[in-house]
Amino acid sequence: MSLEIIDVIISGLITGSVYALMAMGLTLIYGVTKAFNFAYGSFYTMGGYIAWLLLVPIAIAGGYFSVFLLAVPLLFGIGYLLEKFLVAPLRKYDDWEVKVMMVTLGLSLFLDNGYMAVFGGRMKSLPTFVSGQIEIGGAVIMTQDLVIFILAVGGMLCFRWILRNTRTGLAVEAVAQNPAGAQIVGIRKEVIFASTFAISTIMVGLGGILLSQKYFVAPVGGGDIMIKSWVVTAFGGMGSVQGSLYAAFILGMLEAMVGWIFGMDYVMISIFVVLLTTLAVRPKGLMGRG
Amino acid sequence: MRKLQFAVFALAMCLITAPGAFAADTIKVGVPLAMTGSYTGAGENYWQGIKMAIDEINEGGGLLGKQLEVVRFDSKEYAPEVVMQGADYLCGQMKVASVQAGWSGWGQDVRAYGKYDQPFFCDDGSEAAVQVFREDPEKYGNIFQLTDTGINQAKSMFRVLMALPQKHHNNKVVIINTDDAWGTEVGDTMVESFKEKGWDVAKRETVPYGTIEWGPILTQIRKIDPAIIHVEIPSSQEVITFFRQFMKAPTNSVLSYGWSIVPREVMDTLGKEADGLIGEMPTAMPGPKAPNAKAQAWVDKFEKLYGHSPQGGSWAVYSGVMAWANAVKAVGDETKFKEINKYIQEHGYVGETGLWKWDADNVVRAGGDVPVGHYQVQNGQLVCIYTDPPTKPYADYKYQTPPWIKN
Amino acid sequence: MSWKRMAAIMAVFYAVVGILPLFVGDMRFVMHILIMCLIWAVVASCWDVIMGFAGIFSFGQVAFFVAGAYCSAMLAYHLHIPPVWTILIAGCFTGVLGVLVGLPCLKLAGPYVALVTFGVHMTLTPLLRGKIGIAMGSGGATGLLTIPPIQLFGWTFSSEHLVPFFYLTFAVTIICSAIILIIIKSFWGTAFLALKDSEEFATSLGVNAFKYKLMVFAITSFITGVIGAFYGHYVGMLSTRMLNLDLFCTLMVMLVVGGIGQFPGAILGAFITVTVNELLAPLGMYRPLIMGALVAALVLLLPEGVIGLIRSIGSMWRQNDPQTIPSS
Repeated sequence: MSLEIIDVIISGLITGSVYALMAMGLTLIYGVTKAFNFAYGSFYTMGGYIAWLLLVPIAIAGGYFSVFLLAVPLLFGIGYLLEKFLVAPLRKYDDWEVKVMMVTLGLSLFLDNGYMAVFGGRMKSLPTFVSGQIEIGGAVIMTQDLVIFILAVGGMLCFRWILRNTRTGLAVEAVAQNPAGAQIVGIRKEVIFASTFAISTIMVGLGGILLSQKYFVAPVGGGDIMIKSWVVTAFGGMGSVQGSLYAAFILGMLEAMVGWIFGMDYVMISIFVVLLTTLAVRPKGLMGRG
Repeated sequence: MRKLQFAVFALAMCLITAPGAFAADTIKVGVPLAMTGSYTGAGENYWQGIKMAIDEINEGGGLLGKQLEVVRFDSKEYAPEVVMQGADYLCGQMKVASVQAGWSGWGQDVRAYGKYDQPFFCDDGSEAAVQVFREDPEKYGNIFQLTDTGINQAKSMFRVLMALPQKHHNNKVVIINTDDAWGTEVGDTMVESFKEKGWDVAKRETVPYGTIEWGPILTQIRKIDPAIIHVEIPSSQEVITFFRQFMKAPTNSVLSYGWSIVPREVMDTLGKEADGLIGEMPTAMPGPKAPNAKAQAWVDKFEKLYGHSPQGGSWAVYSGVMAWANAVKAVGDETKFKEINKYIQEHGYVGETGLWKWDADNVVRAGGDVPVGHYQVQNGQLVCIYTDPPTKPYADYKYQTPPWIKN
Repeated sequence: MSWKRMAAIMAVFYAVVGILPLFVGDMRFVMHILIMCLIWAVVASCWDVIMGFAGIFSFGQVAFFVAGAYCSAMLAYHLHIPPVWTILIAGCFTGVLGVLVGLPCLKLAGPYVALVTFGVHMTLTPLLRGKIGIAMGSGGATGLLTIPPIQLFGWTFSSEHLVPFFYLTFAVTIICSAIILIIIKSFWGTAFLALKDSEEFATSLGVNAFKYKLMVFAITSFITGVIGAFYGHYVGMLSTRMLNLDLFCTLMVMLVVGGIGQFPGAILGAFITVTVNELLAPLGMYRPLIMGALVAALVLLLPEGVIGLIRSIGSMWRQNDPQTIPSS
């Protein structure tokens, strides 16, 4: 019995770290630019396809190391340009939030079906990052799950540290809190907006690479990721990095527990109920602000 | 402005309806398949089989001296009104002579195409679709099912599971299925069959699509330690993740995947890793060695064309096209739909392995020359170990105890 | 836009649509598309009222549509109540549902409202497919395959005869559009515009934001439910496949094409989107790809949608030719 609970807790932690990895970029982009990016899931898939392209048909030397090396500037460039050309021109409108939603919806339709046209509808699998499994006191953990857990938690903490302790991070924070005020003190808000968008693209793209090697790359897989990240960030409080981290693990644990006790069919309903109750008590999520 | 608006609209309407105006001496064949959305992969399997048959007929001089012309329709995600639109477009607007559809629902398709008389071939494998047919066999006489129902397929799977030369350490079984029409139909039948035989169904779980973390379910499975686990999820990512996470700490259970073995990615991704898995393919060509020379020639041709072995459904829809073409030849006029339907119903069609016979429900029931094939993954390849009904070993292939079972 | 102008655009447009069956009445395929256009036009306009006018990020429109369809179909199929009544009951049901969803939502900020309403959408699938749904008679995963057709004054309206059904839908659509027009142009509409401009100021003048938003939620949910029920009796079959993202995205495209918050725009948007979708259909998988690119381009280049385009062409016309006084 006790071993069973440990097993369930471990699987909750695995799901939690997967969610944390997915949601990291979304909370950043909403927190700073207040723009809701519907194409978020498509960037996740983009990361997966970049890795697949480099590793399988090109068979690049250096394996995942080279993939990360190439993917980071590539994703940054794509994110930056997309913000400049698609999102930034819309900020002048009153209802720019809706317009950004629509434009990114169009972008995600375009990208997802573009993947389908280029790579075909069948899903691809990536070579595993690390293989093998570790046994700790009767419980078996796959090494790659451990790596994902460490990267998710470590990444989130690292990210929070950067936001709070570096000049760039503080500038981003300042824009998030008061764009007009930040501009007055000499921070170039447009650059910060575009960079934030680009950094969030990197985050979700790298998350996509890491998780795609655990699961798969599929052209229509992005929608699901988008919805899950959305739930996690809203639950944790949009814009709060710490909140997202807690939310990811709470929801991961909830999913594992509900699945274990009541069955997988009730997972979605229970998540919805918990989300509603949380929002009823705290309308901005667990740790939401402003 | 209004004039412009009207002109644009009129132009648009003309463009939609224009193709119908051209009458050439070709015979049109309607092919409604998923070309976008989540079912694109399955749509591709069917398209390969249908295209192969049509190309073959055209290369051989066509049908009644006329070339066949394909009219495609994107069924997207099979929302009811889209299925209906497909029927109105293909049969009503394009006036196709026959519709070759592959999997197309669980009864919506019967209703939508039953309004017309053109022979309609589909691969639904659904009891609900048969129920709709029975409401009015006269009206739905143009609907031909290429595959037996989920209920009968599940019974076939059960018989083979019982026939396996495998010593079970207990009589507990765990059944996992998706929450769609196919999953519940197979899952329900499996539960019933096992209970009838006195087995203990220790767990029955209905999971939604998109489940990729199996921790909680596997925890329970490990506690139960069942003799058989049956997974019925017709989507690759769910079954691959299930298998990999199961293998983390496998129990001494026969792992039966049913139709879940069919999506091509499952074998492509897992390869030799999957050795020991069991699964089924309805109306599939048994392999790797086909039953006779003619069938082997068909398999070779398919592999040469597409570079991989034929997938679930490809051969079924190929046979659907051929059965229709055969009937058209016999009747001598592709527009005499009622007579063609009557001919198919009465005479069936003799294919590579033998006779395809449609019963009173217009379903090719499993058995005879077109049985359900039951496969095991051996050395990274799907090997047909049994055909059913009647349950008998196929060729000289033997069941192997899965490598993870240690008694 | 003045309400006269809105009404004029709608009148002309509906007049054109209304006579189309004279030309294409014998083409089932085209008639079916026209009927679906009318149905989507209503759903899209309701969504537009919520999103564009009331400024609530509701993503629950498809959910209300499906809920209405299921409610009416189950009542008519299991309890044998005439569809005319079940359609109204379904409308009331979704109206109440709208209030229930609206109550917790309206205190939340934009993306949270979107999430909660979309949550309703997502929980509907497991609910209808699962044990609860089966117990209520949703037919589980198989759905409902025999929904009785609408009977009115001894006439049967179903998908067998499309021209009569078209005119029935036509009438219902016009009524729904008129209701929406009245909402927008009444005191409420003005209240919403005030709320959108400055919520604080409007509230200080005594405009009760919460009350109005809730009312609008209820009414649009009611209309969406009614038209959803209508859809169910028309197609005669229902399944949870309606809840896939396909339809959701298409409806959003209609809003973008028509222009968000530009009322009769959503109606035009529905017709244009469906037509373009059908024209692109032979391209197979490139269809949604082109649609996506089109949406992004439209938002950037035509931020007010087709209505914005019509307006700018109209004003250009007036500038070039000052003698002509436009009739509408």
